[in-house]
Amino acid sequence: MRTLSSLQRREVVTESGESLGRLYDLRGELGARTLRVTGLVAGAHGFLEHLGITRRSSRTAIPWDDVVRIEGKRIVVRDQKN
Amino acid sequence: MTEIDIALKVLDHQILDCDGRRCGNVDDIEIEGGPDEQPRVSAILVGPGWWPQRAGWIGRVARWVAGNERVRVPWEEVADVESGVILRKSAAELGLGRGDDRVRPWIEKIPGAHR
Amino acid sequence: MNKVFGVALGILAAVGGFVDIGDLVFNVSAGAMFGYELLWVIPVGVVGIIVFSEMCGRVAAVSKKAVFDAVRERVGFKAALGTLIASEVVNLMTFAAELGGVAIALQLLSGLPYRWLIVLAAVALTGVIWAAKFEWIERVFGYGGLCLLVFAVAVVKLSPDWGEAAAGFIPHVPQSDGTVYAYFVVGLLGAAMTPYEVYFYSSGAVEEEWTPKDLGLNRANATVGYGLGGFFSVALMLTGATLFLGRGIEPEHLGTIALGAQVPLGEIGLVLALVGILFAVGGASIDTVFSGAYNLAQFCGWEWGRYRTNARAPRFTLTWLVLLALGTLIVLTGVDAVVLTEYAVIFSVVALPLTYVPILLVANDEAYMGRYRNGRLANVLGFVYLIVILIVALSAIPLMILTNLGQG
Repeated sequence: MRTLSSLQRREVVTESGESLGRLYDLRGELGARTLRVTGLVAGAHGFLEHLGITRRSSRTAIPWDDVVRIEGKRIVVRDQKN
Repeated sequence: MTEIDIALKVLDHQILDCDGRRCGNVDDIEIEGGPDEQPRVSAILVGPGWWPQRAGWIGRVARWVAGNERVRVPWEEVADVESGVILRKSAAELGLGRGDDRVRPWIEKIPGAHR
Repeated sequence: MNKVFGVALGILAAVGGFVDIGDLVFNVSAGAMFGYELLWVIPVGVVGIIVFSEMCGRVAAVSKKAVFDAVRERVGFKAALGTLIASEVVNLMTFAAELGGVAIALQLLSGLPYRWLIVLAAVALTGVIWAAKFEWIERVFGYGGLCLLVFAVAVVKLSPDWGEAAAGFIPHVPQSDGTVYAYFVVGLLGAAMTPYEVYFYSSGAVEEEWTPKDLGLNRANATVGYGLGGFFSVALMLTGATLFLGRGIEPEHLGTIALGAQVPLGEIGLVLALVGILFAVGGASIDTVFSGAYNLAQFCGWEWGRYRTNARAPRFTLTWLVLLALGTLIVLTGVDAVVLTEYAVIFSVVALPLTYVPILLVANDEAYMGRYRNGRLANVLGFVYLIVILIVALSAIPLMILTNLGQG
């Protein structure tokens, strides 16, 4: 059991050590009685985009299935294709 | 099924109960499930008691002023997410808006409170 | 036709409510120290408040969110909490200054002791807010403020050098006293672009359930209301310039300011000036105390509203009562109302970017605003004023210290 705020700002790194930026949001799927978490929204420019200074385009989320483990200060994911 | 960004659309938004009464903001969100599972939002967390974990020392000071209240509203009680979060039941049934309920009897003692 | 009439009445009330104690102090002082040289700052400040208010009104109409709803959602919790604390401190200082102004105006009108009048004013304001319908409050205080038109009449009677005055509207650097001049530029802009007015306006728009259909009304309110209000600031500065410049008179008391109407127009001028000051500053004090309550209630998610009954929004009601009491205590300590006003204006300038930036961001955010997001004009103006506000905010405290609160 964890809180969204505790996940925010953790660094997202791939298994091979590449940094994908900081986590600033979670993508979810809103159903009738549930809200499932489906992905991570992270990025090097995450901060500026969060404030809306850079364009808020539909950011691709890292699928939750790619999450390997959640550590104290980071979230480790499988290497991404691009 | 709609896709939403949870911090953007839910966190820090106004909560309205089934009667349209304002009863707090979403102060944090509880998530159940980790890697290799199907995580889901299990509850919304409401109250100044949740502030320190979001704002460090300034949150602690604010909590000292605003009180220690912590309410947990299971996600099943959420009817919809529009510009705010809309609940299925009334605030009283979910333990929200208690601050207003506590202050109201004092305000009502003063004549003209219902003008 | 009826609707146009209603809108016009609303604008009239806004015009009468434009002037507050910051405007009174800074505009007359600026005229007394620099004559016509600072007139150009007034339209800059007026356009600034128009830009800010129009954006807030549009955000309220389209997204149904008032300023602090938007701030909390947009800038992250820690920054929003910091902004809230800063805004509440500034609101309280401003309210105390306005309350002091009300007490002084009452003293000049009645001759009763100042300290008693502070309490009387506080009690009267509490009673009015508690019992009266808000539409009534807005109208009465707004129309009462229109008595300040006496300053415009007084100025005409004093026959200023209109050519020289016109030249004052062109921005220029002063002959001497550069830092004091700069301090007044900052103070005048701060007095025109008061944040509490914006909080109040946007909360009202949400409460009146504005929709995109009301965007024309929003633009009219902001441009005509504040535009005409700026006219009062010009009259005040011209009064300072024609009566006090070069005579070593510094308008450190409201009574001196009221002299501006008495000298050309006699006793009737004095009374109208004092009544106008009383209602304008009284109305402003109500707006500030409500703004403090709005911000806290919106941040915490409580029920709020000026049209709600007191019992329907208990914590909101308690908040403005507490703020009113605290402000009264501050004034009762005997702090000079004019000095307090200057501090309040300077600190509100420093805090101005904290709410301006989030609103500028939200007004540009397609997710919130859809097709009503800032167009090119709004963005050009919005970003120009962002630079202005940042420069002014960063230089305010250094200038205040360097010039010893404008004394030079």
